[in-house]
Amino acid sequence: MTFNPLEQRGIPLDRQLRSWREMNVKPIDPDRCDPYTRCRIITMNGIEVEAILFSHQLARHCPDPEIKRQLARTRYIEAQQQKVVNWLLPGVSSVLETTIAYEQVAVDLTAWVARMEPDPYLKQAYQFGVLEDFDHLYRYANLYEMIEHRKAEAIVDGLTEVMPGRPTKFHHRDPVDNVRDPYAKDGTNPLSKLHALTIMSAEQQTMNFYMNTGPTYMEPIARQLYQEIGLIEEEHVTHYESLVDPGETWWEQLVNHEYNECYLYHSFMEQESDPKVKAIWELHLNMELEHLHIACDLMRRHDGRDPESVLAPELPNVLTFEPNKAYLRELLDTQIDLTTLGAGYVREAHERFEAMQEQIHGGEEPPSERVMAEHDAMFGREYRVQSEGEHPDPAMREK
Amino acid sequence: MSELHTPQAGDDRAEDTDVVALLMRQHGDIRNLFDEVEAASGAERREAFRRLVRLLAVHETAEEEVVHPFARRSFPGGEQIVEDRLAEEKAAKETLATLDDLDTDDPTFMPQLMALRTDVQEHARAEERYEFTHIRRSTDVTGLAAMAKAVKAAEAMAPTRPHPGVESGAANMALGPVAALMDRTKDAVRKAMGKDG
Repeated sequence: MTFNPLEQRGIPLDRQLRSWREMNVKPIDPDRCDPYTRCRIITMNGIEVEAILFSHQLARHCPDPEIKRQLARTRYIEAQQQKVVNWLLPGVSSVLETTIAYEQVAVDLTAWVARMEPDPYLKQAYQFGVLEDFDHLYRYANLYEMIEHRKAEAIVDGLTEVMPGRPTKFHHRDPVDNVRDPYAKDGTNPLSKLHALTIMSAEQQTMNFYMNTGPTYMEPIARQLYQEIGLIEEEHVTHYESLVDPGETWWEQLVNHEYNECYLYHSFMEQESDPKVKAIWELHLNMELEHLHIACDLMRRHDGRDPESVLAPELPNVLTFEPNKAYLRELLDTQIDLTTLGAGYVREAHERFEAMQEQIHGGEEPPSERVMAEHDAMFGREYRVQSEGEHPDPAMREK
Repeated sequence: MSELHTPQAGDDRAEDTDVVALLMRQHGDIRNLFDEVEAASGAERREAFRRLVRLLAVHETAEEEVVHPFARRSFPGGEQIVEDRLAEEKAAKETLATLDDLDTDDPTFMPQLMALRTDVQEHARAEERYEFTHIRRSTDVTGLAAMAKAVKAAEAMAPTRPHPGVESGAANMALGPVAALMDRTKDAVRKAMGKDG
């Protein structure tokens, strides 16, 4: 279906403010919800957090007090949207359960984007990254069984497999090798801009989540694993943010942010199975249409350019949460041993990679390996969900 | 569902030197049993429900005997936190007693069980957040280990997996009614804590 957000009008901004009563949403039932409803909530929270942080950065670079006030008005509404969206998550979930859901988002969102991405260089960046989130899911799932005696399967519910990806210990690269080359803003497919912004925002929120919740654990292995994977999220944010063309003006970036929010709320509204959550996606889409119009006006005024010149003529196909098992197995079979060198990818452990590995591990096993050893000591096995058969890489099969 | 079997807390190979870690794993065991009851039907459901009732009874008894008294006297506000938890436990026990009188195939059984599942889960998280964190803060490794020993003694009263060869109804009956099980659990806990009777 075709939907052009530039041609739609939403709710006027002065009618978007919600009272406490309207903000008081009923959380989802963690044990009975559609796992992809939870994935959509986590994704949209990441998108709203990025919208808020981006607007703050823009305001800090903005000398005109009138524009600052305009940004503040929209941003306050976005802050309410973030509260409504993230407050759909239930208080009974533990941090580790939410973490496993974050990794399910990272796996199935990135895999879908990799499948749909038209630009081969960008596609490779997503393919590379998804095998790392896939391994994080496996490590956290083993930690979860140790601490709570529960299986990650109860969270991912057969939609996402849980088994080794590229081993976490190899994700620690020299920081300079995390910087990618950007797309060219005027030549690239508009869909590629939306993909880059979406994955960057999701990874940034994952980084924020781990850096703040990791120390709430008392178990030494849990604290250490969050520290290790938290640092890899820093690498991922570096990796994905460098895909975005830094030549885009502030106003162009603002327009892209608002357009992407319309795209995602529209996508999720189309697929949502929970009617109460669907109503929120619909309401927020109608709010975002107005934020987009305000951003477009700002771009016209301050850049003297037409937003249509940088946006797609209509919304791309809906972004979809769905199982990506076969696709992930293909990547596991072909790309598990990749690392980065400069802005490219190689198979050999080059000198800079080796030097980083030696320094950060300090001759010891990292937390991501020790969690497996501790799990084995407790249960005499590891935890996996391999619904589609053995691991495609024989070296990664359970001994 | 996965065919991997997670041993119940106290039965896995953890050192069990920390009462909080042990009780948190037991909270997971209880959730697993709720899932098992829900997934099963007929005689299997009946049998899984018996195990759930036993584990819940033993777990709550152990908490009432071991951790709540400690929490009550060991940190400021402990008294009120324990009062709140006991009120939740009392409500859960009442629902459990109602369910215990029903046949697991009764049409009202599952809706009530699902409501109990939610209440028990909220209760367990409240314990973890408002009581257990203080317990770890208020005692040393010796205290945590001593309490763990008492909880383990209690748990031995309610295996969540039927013992091979004795999983018949007769064996379950041999454990007796829930009230008697609670009494025996209290005795076992008090013995492990070094207070007889």
